[in-house]
Amino acid sequence: MIACILIPGFELRAALRRRPRLALEPAALAPLPGTLPLIGPVTATAENVGVRPGMRLGEALATCPSLVLVEQDPAEAEQAWEEIVRRLEDDGFAVEPVEPGCLYFETRGVERLYGGVERCLKRALAAVGSAWDPRAGVAERRFAALAAASVARPGQLCVVSDERTRQFLAPLPLSLLPLAEERKEELEELGVRRLGELAELPGAAVAERLGPDGTRAWSQARGEEGGRVRARRPPAELSERLEFPEAVGSELTLRRALGVLLDRVLARPDRGGRAIRKVAVSARLVGGGSWRRTLTLREPMGEARRIRVALGPKLAELPAPATALAVELVELSESTGRQLELLQPEGAELHERLKEGLRQVRSSTGGGGVFSIVEVAPWSRIPEQRALLVPRDE
Amino acid sequence: MKPAERGRVETGGGEFGPAAAVGRGAPRRVNEPQPALVEPRFDGSPAQVNRQVVAIVREEWRVVDRWWTEEPVSRRYFDIVLESGQQVVVFNDEDQRLWFSQRGV
Repeated sequence: MIACILIPGFELRAALRRRPRLALEPAALAPLPGTLPLIGPVTATAENVGVRPGMRLGEALATCPSLVLVEQDPAEAEQAWEEIVRRLEDDGFAVEPVEPGCLYFETRGVERLYGGVERCLKRALAAVGSAWDPRAGVAERRFAALAAASVARPGQLCVVSDERTRQFLAPLPLSLLPLAEERKEELEELGVRRLGELAELPGAAVAERLGPDGTRAWSQARGEEGGRVRARRPPAELSERLEFPEAVGSELTLRRALGVLLDRVLARPDRGGRAIRKVAVSARLVGGGSWRRTLTLREPMGEARRIRVALGPKLAELPAPATALAVELVELSESTGRQLELLQPEGAELHERLKEGLRQVRSSTGGGGVFSIVEVAPWSRIPEQRALLVPRDE
Repeated sequence: MKPAERGRVETGGGEFGPAAAVGRGAPRRVNEPQPALVEPRFDGSPAQVNRQVVAIVREEWRVVDRWWTEEPVSRRYFDIVLESGQQVVVFNDEDQRLWFSQRGV
């Protein structure tokens, strides 16, 4: 069977870990700067006074003037989520994390280890920790497991047998479906408010009206959707952190700190000479909150200089001075070596890099964005007649 | 072709300005003269460039070229430093009586 563990409002819970007192007050996750002014998850106290997740900020503050806006802490959330996933992996669950606060795993491999599905799920809930109020759902299908987890009480599990799946799903709201909001609104305007009502509709009509997404949602509502659990490969635990004596906002200093961190993390013996596929840089910000950027490298590499060049520009995106900077090697390649030519022609590497750089510029700006300067009359006394800008498409 | 005509036809917004997108795919000249707003002194040297006061005229020279063609060039160049510290090169097209700024001189 497939199990789903759900932690509603995970980002808010993670952000409140450092300020647990706020969990009992009306609080909501503040929107990120530059995004739509919609609040994120809210505490139970806020919900009791009428504040709903996804509400406009102005409306939420008008509804509850004492509402506390909690700054998002993506690095803290990611770290907390990683700790949860690793605890589950340590207990033998091969998990597929979907997003912070939601994961799946197959119970088949561990049922006998723990003596049944229910015991297995209890063990998983205990591994997550009661402080997170996790809920578990088990069913033969992924969507049914998610639906079961979403109706379960905190710390409880809900098991749905295959033959009762459709009956179980029928009274549940459409909001559970992974459909775009407009599609859900469209269905509500048509009078379809429950999964059972959607499941009753003819499949061809749904496909015609809502397209492939609608067809998938229709199959899910009927409890017929397939989909296996693809367990992740546990990531490498290689990271280095640098605490600054005082907040640093200068990009030059941050770049130097990044260079030091990269040298340190690449020198770790547990890397075993493997090249890096994915790397993350994170920072703790001066006013609280955190910042994190992940970069998948074009090709696995182990040279600090090249990784620094790729990662350095991300530091310019830091929204505030940082009190700590960390580098994490998120994904390493399997192989330890890289086949090179015995004798490389002079300038070949530089030429390849230039070609690749130009290719990237072209792909981001479209055709006609790269030019070569061609000298046509360098001796001319008229400056504009000395050289031409010629489009370079190769 | 006179600088003003070239400015209209080929660049308008500078090498990487809005007009650059229009002319994509065709070769363009580097360092095309750009029209400049210049307030001259009585001796013809610039007193203000683009509403900024000129601090020093570092150098002055003339370019007289292509007099044998139908598009002769006769320019009086000034290498100047503005009060803001910016260094600019401007010239007066003596045929058209118009001022231009130019880079790469």
